[in-house]
Amino acid sequence: VVDQIRLWQLENERMATTGGFLFKDFESDAEYQALSGYADEIGVLVWKSDLKRMFFASKHEQLRDYLKSRKKIEA
Amino acid sequence: MPRAIRGILVECEPSIKSIIINIDRQNHDYIIEDLDETHLVIKENMLVKLKIKIEDMLKDSYQVVPLKDDVTDEEDLI
Repeated sequence: VVDQIRLWQLENERMATTGGFLFKDFESDAEYQALSGYADEIGVLVWKSDLKRMFFASKHEQLRDYLKSRKKIEA
Repeated sequence: MPRAIRGILVECEPSIKSIIINIDRQNHDYIIEDLDETHLVIKENMLVKLKIKIEDMLKDSYQVVPLKDDVTDEEDLI
């Protein structure tokens, strides 16, 4: 029981976790800005770094579709 | 094309983060990406194991060893 309380304390006070996907290796800043902006718009953006051109999103399906449609328009 | 890597975003204070980095140092099988002072991404299937390890390390650092009892034991043996 003591261990469970400890885990609970860690979970609530010192550590927060979110399942999802780390997006990285963008070809351009425009591509990064567009996708992270869209993630923010649809409410799945959890963390981002413009400097590292990376972001973390809680879901990826809509982002994948958005990226595909963007590629089609570019092509 | 960018990549999307499945994982768990961990947000924690720097002291907990340094514990996680120390745990990962042995085999590098927990951390996917070290993001900043208070964030990192870890492998989804390692979260429970990692939490247990952190708890163990926190427990060790808080434990007070009763030295007096050890001395008493030795005296009893003699």
